[in-house]
Amino acid sequence: MELCIKFKIMQSEKLIQTLLEQTKQIINQAEKLKHYDLNTLTWKENKTSWSILECLEHLNLYGNFYLPQMENKIKNSTTKTELEFKSGILGNYFSKSMLPEEKLNKMKTFKDKNPLNANLDKTVIDKFINQQIKLLDLLNQSRNVNLNKVKIKISISSFIKLKLGDTFQFFINHIIRHLKQIDRILNTMENA
Amino acid sequence: MKEIIELSDKKITIGRNEFLKVKGSIDTNLYYVESGSLRIFVLDDYEEQTIRFGYKENLIVSLDSFLTGKPSDLYIQAIKKTVVKVVTKEQIDKYLENGNNQNLWIKILENLVVQQMEREIDILTNSPKERYERVLKRSPQLFQEVPNRHIANYLRMSAETLSRLKKP
Repeated sequence: MELCIKFKIMQSEKLIQTLLEQTKQIINQAEKLKHYDLNTLTWKENKTSWSILECLEHLNLYGNFYLPQMENKIKNSTTKTELEFKSGILGNYFSKSMLPEEKLNKMKTFKDKNPLNANLDKTVIDKFINQQIKLLDLLNQSRNVNLNKVKIKISISSFIKLKLGDTFQFFINHIIRHLKQIDRILNTMENA
Repeated sequence: MKEIIELSDKKITIGRNEFLKVKGSIDTNLYYVESGSLRIFVLDDYEEQTIRFGYKENLIVSLDSFLTGKPSDLYIQAIKKTVVKVVTKEQIDKYLENGNNQNLWIKILENLVVQQMEREIDILTNSPKERYERVLKRSPQLFQEVPNRHIANYLRMSAETLSRLKKP
């Protein structure tokens, strides 16, 4: 699975195609998770590490923040399609920092996005998939606006705004990161 | 059709409810269903509308994207675990460089056009009973391969209505 955009300038349409493809794969991975039982989905390696459902709930919390904002900004934008998308310096940095490295590198999780110990069940997976369907819709809608000019506030600071194109990539890379974490959890369980 | 399928050098397995294609993507592949079943649908204001099915020994393709190379709004989703052989547009174009092969291709396309016309009449038929009978006559196998609720959606009726119509 392609994990990052290597070049800073690209065709907007190519970016959207890539993001659509990544989202499709994300949905398919999530569908596979539905086959596991609740015990597997709530298994934790230790007290502070996350279970599979906690990883997904964390992603749902981010989705709750970003998706409505993106939808709103796209709907109310008066900008039009631009052929090229140029990644912003900050946007590019955030996107890349979300990529999972081979070594498990821990990142701080902000308190309001921490799912630990919430009461979780399989509906978490359904919610996650619904968010991805929504994301597909937004990606399609974003064809009609300027991915460079529409700006989205990030969750940790309302003073920092990223270009819509960068936000999509950053948001999706973050999901991919946690899906890899889920793969590792399943592997650990198998080898336990 | 067998010759076209034999061009394939790739097989993919799609799990139940997983997507082969999502809205907005470009997909110029032709898929031959070895096992399982798929549906092609569009989302109309968050309501799913199934427009076509593919099951064992069928060809499935996002025809708009295949012919134009442009993005298509169609979703292709596995109804149950499905294995397909993939034939790329490039493989077909190469195959069609040989003039002798073009006739086969034209026959396939002609067949698809006729199917589309039948479908158009399906949709414009008012009576649910008639819509059901048209499809039953044309594709009895469908009722073995695909669950009722999807067929009901395809026929643009409720699952209850379809159950009623199926009673002898």
